[in-house]
Amino acid sequence: MMASKWDKLRCWLLDLNVIDKEISDPSEIKRLDLSSNSLVSLPSDIGILSELIVLNLANNKLQSLPESLKDLKKLNNLDIRRNDFSVLPKVIAHMNIKSLIASSNRLTDVEPLSQIKSLRVVDLSSNKLKDIKALFCDENEVRSLNLASNYLQDISSLVSVLSYVERLNVSENILSSVPATVKRMQNIVDIDFSLNEINTIDEAFFDLPAESVNLCSNRITNITLHGLEDLEVLILDENPIQKIALKNGFAPFLKEFSCDGCEIDTFLPFTSKEIESLSYPSNSLTEIPEFIENYTKLIKLDLEDNKIVKLPNALANLTQLQTVYLKGNPLDDESKHIIEILHPDICDITMKTNITIEQATIEDVPQMADLLALLFAIEKDFEVDYEKQLQGVTKLLRHTGSTLLVAKDNKKVVGMVTMQELISSAAGDMVGQIEDLIVLPEYRKMGIGSRLINKIRYIALQENKYERVQLAADIDNDYALAFYTRRGFRKTNLAIFHQSH
Amino acid sequence: MRSDEEILDLEICECGEKSVTDAIEIFQNTSLPFKKAKKLVTECNKSCCRAALLKLYDMNQFGSYDYKEIEELIEKRLERLKNLSEGV
Repeated sequence: MMASKWDKLRCWLLDLNVIDKEISDPSEIKRLDLSSNSLVSLPSDIGILSELIVLNLANNKLQSLPESLKDLKKLNNLDIRRNDFSVLPKVIAHMNIKSLIASSNRLTDVEPLSQIKSLRVVDLSSNKLKDIKALFCDENEVRSLNLASNYLQDISSLVSVLSYVERLNVSENILSSVPATVKRMQNIVDIDFSLNEINTIDEAFFDLPAESVNLCSNRITNITLHGLEDLEVLILDENPIQKIALKNGFAPFLKEFSCDGCEIDTFLPFTSKEIESLSYPSNSLTEIPEFIENYTKLIKLDLEDNKIVKLPNALANLTQLQTVYLKGNPLDDESKHIIEILHPDICDITMKTNITIEQATIEDVPQMADLLALLFAIEKDFEVDYEKQLQGVTKLLRHTGSTLLVAKDNKKVVGMVTMQELISSAAGDMVGQIEDLIVLPEYRKMGIGSRLINKIRYIALQENKYERVQLAADIDNDYALAFYTRRGFRKTNLAIFHQSH
Repeated sequence: MRSDEEILDLEICECGEKSVTDAIEIFQNTSLPFKKAKKLVTECNKSCCRAALLKLYDMNQFGSYDYKEIEELIEKRLERLKNLSEGV
């Protein structure tokens, strides 16, 4: 009987191409990925996969689950995101799963969760949950709970049993307050209350051990910051704050504070010596106090769109400060001089803003050859020879299947990148070989390299529909290697060889 | 089921009246961090279209676009607005 059940199930799994043909026994299957198969139901005998640990059912059209799932005693992770569940199947109550991902369904009822004690990670984001009283039993040990993008109005009962939770995301609901019951979350590290309608925060909130708090896009008009002794990150962006005050002892290790578009006129005197990022854009600040010099670890300062005329001299002493945004302030000449002395890597008022990215023309070729000299000077494998580079760029420009982009400041070419079309036998189609990405030194740290690489990659993958893009970078050029890695390029195991006449 | 071209024509931000194509173009022409790049698209301080724009920004950074996912996020936001207006 068991054999025929397995034979049937095995055929089904082989038809879906989700198991190897070599698998001959159900106990050999420990992980099963059935995602994105347009499944409307599962075989009733799937419970015979007794050794299954991970079951991925995401991106299907399931509305129910077979009862036999309760036989999967070793199952830890169940992923049912992006299906058509409106009610969490009752069988889940009888499973000992540790992780349940049920985001992007149409769930209005998740009652079975209240019977599972084993859960540690739960994602119910993007559902239709409205009234949740007892989501979990008192004995639950949930560590991470995501309830973002639902229709919750009150979480007071819910959080009262979350004594183990470390990460709570209730972003994009319709909460109007942070309830007193949050005091039960004595292990909370990261809490996201953003995009709600919160206008009241209970005192208990300020006693939490949270390290990161996001209250962005709420309706907070009056807040006195105090307590939160472990806090490192506080986001208050987009709140209509009329009154903000600070009490002694607030967040002594605060690293990052942001209040974008909060209508505030006070630069807050945080006592933390660990401040690395302060963001006050789109507010009504008129001055920056001298005590800013206390923030010796400050890396980023965003004061864009305020009413600041004078910057304190002390700003020039902040040697770690790398990024400063000051656009949209009526700064006087002395303040601009302070920025010149400070000379941060990135500053919007000294940054060129009229750089355009264009297809190269024949008129650009001499300047491009000059730029290549800069590139080859730092690459050991190449020699600088203006005539050869001029000839190379000219040929490239005329060659079918080539793309040459230049960054221009008016008529001056300040950066370039090229790409050639190749046929890859591995990919079975065209690929783009990116080369010659270079920006003039005085135009670096302005994002021109990023714009060039983003644009040429878009042309390659979206417009030309190449199978992939590839490039080679000098292994000694750490900056270039980090640049490409940050943009999603992955290092291969291939080495480049070449031989000349 | 929309084609990629139809998705590119969808309005991703009502405040800035920008389509998906417009937003991609703007993100390609800036190296500002997301919060600032978003304002170039929305021309406002609101966060209503944040989810779709954040996903598009990340896709632009990594050079691989999943238009279906963008479509889903736009539709999800519209459905949410409708549900909220109907008191769901």
